[in-house]
Amino acid sequence: MSAGVSRRDWLLSEQPASRRQAKLGQAYRTWVQLRRNKLAMVGLGIVLVLVLAAIFADVIAPYDPLSGGDLRTARLLPPSWAHLMGTDDQARDIFSRIVHGSRLTLMVVAMVAVIATPIGLAVGTTAGYFGGWVDTVLMRITDIFLAFPRLILALAFVAALGPGIENAIIAIAITSWPPYARLARAETLTIRNADYIDAIRLQGAGSGRIIWGHVVPLCMSSVIVRVTLDMAGIILTAAGLGFLGLGAQPPQPEWGAMIASGRRFIIDFWWVATMPGIAIFVVSLGFNLLGDGLRDVLDPKAAQ
Amino acid sequence: MSYITKQIAAAFMASAIGLASVPVQAQTPPDTLIQAWQIDDVISLDPAEVFEFTASEVLGNSYQPLVGYDVKDVSDIFGVIAESWEVSEDGKTFTFTIKPGLQFASGNPITAADPVFSLQRAVKLDKSPAFILTQFGLNAENVDQMVRQTGDMTMELEMDKAYAPTLLLYCLTATVGFVVDKELVMSHEADGDFGYEWLKTNYAGSGAFTIRDWRANEVIVLERNENFSGDASPMARAIYRHIPEGSTQRLLLEKGDIDIARNLGAEEIIALADNADIKIEDGIKGSIYYMGLNQKNENLMKPEVREAMKYLVDYATIADTIMKGKVKVHQAFLPEGFLGALNDNPYALNVEKAKELLAAADLPDGFTVTMDTRNTPEITAMAEAIQQTMADAGIKMELIPGDGQQTLTKYRARNHDIYIGRWGPDYQDPHTNADTFARNPDNGDDAASKPLAWRNAWDIPEMTKQADAAVLEKDAKARADMYIALQQEHQKVSPFVIMFQEIEVLGIRKDVNGFIIGPSFNDNSFRQVTKSE
Repeated sequence: MSAGVSRRDWLLSEQPASRRQAKLGQAYRTWVQLRRNKLAMVGLGIVLVLVLAAIFADVIAPYDPLSGGDLRTARLLPPSWAHLMGTDDQARDIFSRIVHGSRLTLMVVAMVAVIATPIGLAVGTTAGYFGGWVDTVLMRITDIFLAFPRLILALAFVAALGPGIENAIIAIAITSWPPYARLARAETLTIRNADYIDAIRLQGAGSGRIIWGHVVPLCMSSVIVRVTLDMAGIILTAAGLGFLGLGAQPPQPEWGAMIASGRRFIIDFWWVATMPGIAIFVVSLGFNLLGDGLRDVLDPKAAQ
Repeated sequence: MSYITKQIAAAFMASAIGLASVPVQAQTPPDTLIQAWQIDDVISLDPAEVFEFTASEVLGNSYQPLVGYDVKDVSDIFGVIAESWEVSEDGKTFTFTIKPGLQFASGNPITAADPVFSLQRAVKLDKSPAFILTQFGLNAENVDQMVRQTGDMTMELEMDKAYAPTLLLYCLTATVGFVVDKELVMSHEADGDFGYEWLKTNYAGSGAFTIRDWRANEVIVLERNENFSGDASPMARAIYRHIPEGSTQRLLLEKGDIDIARNLGAEEIIALADNADIKIEDGIKGSIYYMGLNQKNENLMKPEVREAMKYLVDYATIADTIMKGKVKVHQAFLPEGFLGALNDNPYALNVEKAKELLAAADLPDGFTVTMDTRNTPEITAMAEAIQQTMADAGIKMELIPGDGQQTLTKYRARNHDIYIGRWGPDYQDPHTNADTFARNPDNGDDAASKPLAWRNAWDIPEMTKQADAAVLEKDAKARADMYIALQQEHQKVSPFVIMFQEIEVLGIRKDVNGFIIGPSFNDNSFRQVTKSE
């Protein structure tokens, strides 16, 4: 790289000098494309705000999210400058609770993505690569999971495991991998007979190496798009479990549980249930917009 | 007709329908009382089995006991189906004479055979409330000899000891003592079950109303009993609709779709207080809210810690805010309205005092403890408020929420640290609560009887003796004094943080009058309800 070439030119170079340059260049092109999509940028902004709120919750939140103020004077106060989103029936500041609740939401989303994506990828690529009875067995198992509505299945798992945020994460992860497996299998079927796979096989590579090193990377982009689009669904499922008392437990500031406890006051004190509802809505929307944008740039079929 | 005229005609029709429907206001029929209540606890309509709040009230309005009491002054006991009764010299045998000329809703006459059958049946079926009768030494083997018919209109009931006479009489006022129609029930008997399967969903009583229909989680319909011996009810029908949410009940009440809302929350009560169409009526109930501290826990077993906990609940604030209008502060195990009730409330939030006590127990920095919390809004809200005041003294309390089944199972197995719950007396005699809060005959893990004191592993041989002595005291005044002394001691040393007594609150349309709120659930009566127009 010569001193006169700007970083942008280096990244967009048609003749990358190294693998690293090629990869970074690809990433930069994707970013440039994504940046053109205004709505996707709004989505990205929302997600960034969520991440920042989660990281700096202690700094941002003006009050303690768990212990409230004086029950006699600070209960169910309407939104004001002192309490931006009002207070709930335990005299706790709702804004502080929502900010701290973003940690729980982000944790659920991240954990589910970390658990469900590898399972889905592993099952899907294995089934697609080997075909035959392996494919049949794995895909029938996937079919069984897909036969149940997701929230119902998650409810059943949480009921069996016992309520709690950890169990809610496990239940949601268990129920969200099948679509990824389906997707990964379909992708694998299109590439498993490609010449470069045959070439690797002739060089003596084992199945594990081929799947991990050459099939999985090619499935990644479509799975990432799918996971991002699913995030909103994951948030809603987690909130749904919280609402039913099966997710995060009081006094944890989980948004779904906050709506559930505010429901009793919705006629006279609308803000108690509405504020966490708005938070869920905005964050779900953010992930959906971002996912849509990512699909446009990452999915080669949609791009054409 | 052209297209346009058709359109105009359609528009006319639509507006006519719209106009016509505007003035029609939802209103309940004048001869029908409609109540909204959470009725999902009903599992049976059989007096031998009913032990639930809702079903107790339904039976209270549709069956009759041998004896009853005045809901305003429970010490005034009078005969309902019984005309009179006598106690034998040794105090062990009661002789009841049945009122002549009474009949069941079915038209069958009431004779001594019916109450004898009802009591024998309840003891032999041995369902949850049977202990109310078996505590007098009755069991399936001896009940045919102990409860006996001595004439067409006379019967005898023999007990194993000379209990305080009011104890038996109060126990007979409980739903398990209600009189069922022997002839009707036995005509539906199958496989020697005393008509149990049939009576679960049917009716065989003599009260002011008959139960026409019960559809689980939907509705209970009662109809006026034309054969009732007392004054006929002004209402031809009484209907309970299953509406679990307080806010929904409030909306229905405001619209006039229901006459009485039964599950209003504190906020709904405040909001309805300003509505001119609605009045709020309340009555004190026997249920008490308390925390049970398991004595198997090494921190909670220290007497100083037990006392400190009693200083770490902000009783007054909870009663004035979260539970406004629904509870009053009460700190002894006998609720107000019972013989010998203690109405002193010596404890209030005092963090400094609690810290001193904790320091004396070698726990100056507090400790961590869990509390099993039923996930109903009220229990959860109270638990969260208590969690905060406990934290002020360094006690880190983790709430473990669960549904009623989960928390109760754990509590009954003594696997909890702290349990927060509600206790309702089973009958109107002080022994009902003394029996469970202050008696623990066997603290072993395999004990036969498992009262609340056992559930919290509180070993109290001395106090058990005192409670046993109080049951046998015949003189009401002396008996009341014994209970007061027992409660004063209990209040100081027990592992029970008794906090509140329940107040039942009803939102009633203003044209509905005469609903009686009694101290126990089967005393709630709509027999005299009228609607003024």
